[in-house]
Amino acid sequence: MIRYIIRRVLAMIPKLLLITMIVFAGLQLLPGDPIVRTFPPEQLAGLSEAQIEVLRDQAGLSDPLPLQYAKWIGRILQGDLGYSVISGSDISQMLATRLPYTMELAGWALVFSAVLGILFGFTAAVKQNSVADYTLTSLSVLGISVPEFFFGILFILLFSMTLGWLPTGGRTTAGESTDLWSRAKYLVMPVLCLSISFLATLTRYTRGCMLDVMNKDYIKTARSKGLGEGEVNLKHGLRNAMSPVLTWLIFQLPSLVCGVVVIETVFNYPAVGTMLLSAINSADMPTVMITTMMIAVVTLIASNLVDIVAAMMDPRIRLE
Amino acid sequence: MNQKKTIRAARRQIRMRKLRRFMRNRMAVAGVAVILVILLLCVLAPLLTPYDPIHMDMGSRNMPLSAVHPLGTDSMGRDLWSRMLYGGRISILIGVTGALGATVLGAVLGCGAGYLGGRAGAAIVYVSELFMAFPQYLLVMILVGVLGRSTANLLVIFTFTGWPHMMRVVRTNVLSLREEPYVESCRVNGIGSLSIMLHHILPNTMGPVIVNFTLKTAAYILQEASLSFLGMGVPDTVVTWGNILNAAKRLDIIQSMPVLWIAPGLAICLFVLSINFLGDGLRDVLDPTSV
Repeated sequence: MIRYIIRRVLAMIPKLLLITMIVFAGLQLLPGDPIVRTFPPEQLAGLSEAQIEVLRDQAGLSDPLPLQYAKWIGRILQGDLGYSVISGSDISQMLATRLPYTMELAGWALVFSAVLGILFGFTAAVKQNSVADYTLTSLSVLGISVPEFFFGILFILLFSMTLGWLPTGGRTTAGESTDLWSRAKYLVMPVLCLSISFLATLTRYTRGCMLDVMNKDYIKTARSKGLGEGEVNLKHGLRNAMSPVLTWLIFQLPSLVCGVVVIETVFNYPAVGTMLLSAINSADMPTVMITTMMIAVVTLIASNLVDIVAAMMDPRIRLE
Repeated sequence: MNQKKTIRAARRQIRMRKLRRFMRNRMAVAGVAVILVILLLCVLAPLLTPYDPIHMDMGSRNMPLSAVHPLGTDSMGRDLWSRMLYGGRISILIGVTGALGATVLGAVLGCGAGYLGGRAGAAIVYVSELFMAFPQYLLVMILVGVLGRSTANLLVIFTFTGWPHMMRVVRTNVLSLREEPYVESCRVNGIGSLSIMLHHILPNTMGPVIVNFTLKTAAYILQEASLSFLGMGVPDTVVTWGNILNAAKRLDIIQSMPVLWIAPGLAICLFVLSINFLGDGLRDVLDPTSV
């Protein structure tokens, strides 16, 4: 197991390097002086040409590119992601406050849709061709066909503007405590919207995998040795169907992140998605690139973690 | 000569059997019908509405539904019915063309990676994994930010970011087909790689390719809509379903003029739903092994 983990981590490193190299290359292609995005504007303000040159040498901005890249990675590893060229604010600071908000949103949506999706998919497969199956499959096609933001508008109109139960957007009420309980009313609608399409695809996929497994010979064996339906379905069916479902979940993590960007905008949720959008709109490309890089890095690490968990559950994966 | 005739007859028979199986799937058939109706409405737009979709008639703003304006007008006096019809044209065009580009690129690369294998194949797979580490939608947003908002740019971006999935599907298929006895016998008979690929392997992977193409079309129509909704899609001057929604997303309009966002929203849902049903139906017929 430990050897497997080491192998996974080692396999991740070249990918991380390539992603950072691509972003570094992209940054080099941008117009404008790189010094602006390397130091905070307060530090640059009022400096003479010569002093700026000293800073430039310090940060290695006139070194050959490979050396520059190495120093840039070094700064990133120390938590210095540079500064926005538009507002001058510290990108690491912005991400440090906002990334947890986004992960909170995505995390709840992931848990919510994973639990329900697997449950629905399992039910539909076990009761294949029943009313429940048809209802769930039709609803899941509907779920993947409706854009998330459309549900968003619908929910805002219904729950906020008509019924007045939930706030139209935001994350906290000024002056109220910020614990999970008082934030819950802000989370309900975004998490729900984010979950719907994810839940729908997961239901479809789990159902497919489960049906696939249930046609296998060992299920017949299990039945013929007289095991109860429940045990066959859960222990022999679901457990074997989980492995492709988990792998699929990992592949879908990026698409969940995409949904977050849209949903954050609909509900005015102040996290990475809204930050990214306003950076794109103000043509603040360094911020955009670095934020995306961090999202890709987090996604990559997360997917590798899930891979490792999957390997713990299914010993066959380790031996591939 | 006779042999050719038999082969042709057999092929026709297989096609008919597939068609019959497809026709049994009622949802898929209904999907095709809805798609055809919507396409017809959009193509015949000039006959169905006298209004120009971008003409602002300041004298008739925020009109309710009426005989003159079947769906009313928006806050700039533009006729909604006409905007829906003309908007559908661009939305569908973007979805279909973007999916076509991504599918063709993915299929070509997948064939290459699968059949040639070796270092080139491994490189293609590696690049696709890198692409998949970036959330595709974010990649699209960034590229729109860099290249600027235009319909052509969006198509190029959709093609450029959408191929990895298709590539993987085709590659897996090619890898297993490559070992089939019939391909081996082609090789033994001295048929060149390119010819084997085009005439013997590619036709046998068309099922999943077509299925994925339909699903990709649905996904891109949704994506265009949500990009436009964020103001990152095609320019505001181009009428698409997404842009109509974008113009109606202010809280006061959401409440006072619901038809402005319900109509384009429903059009998107209905069209995408139909494509998804069509895709599912095609999958049952063309690609029965996949889950």
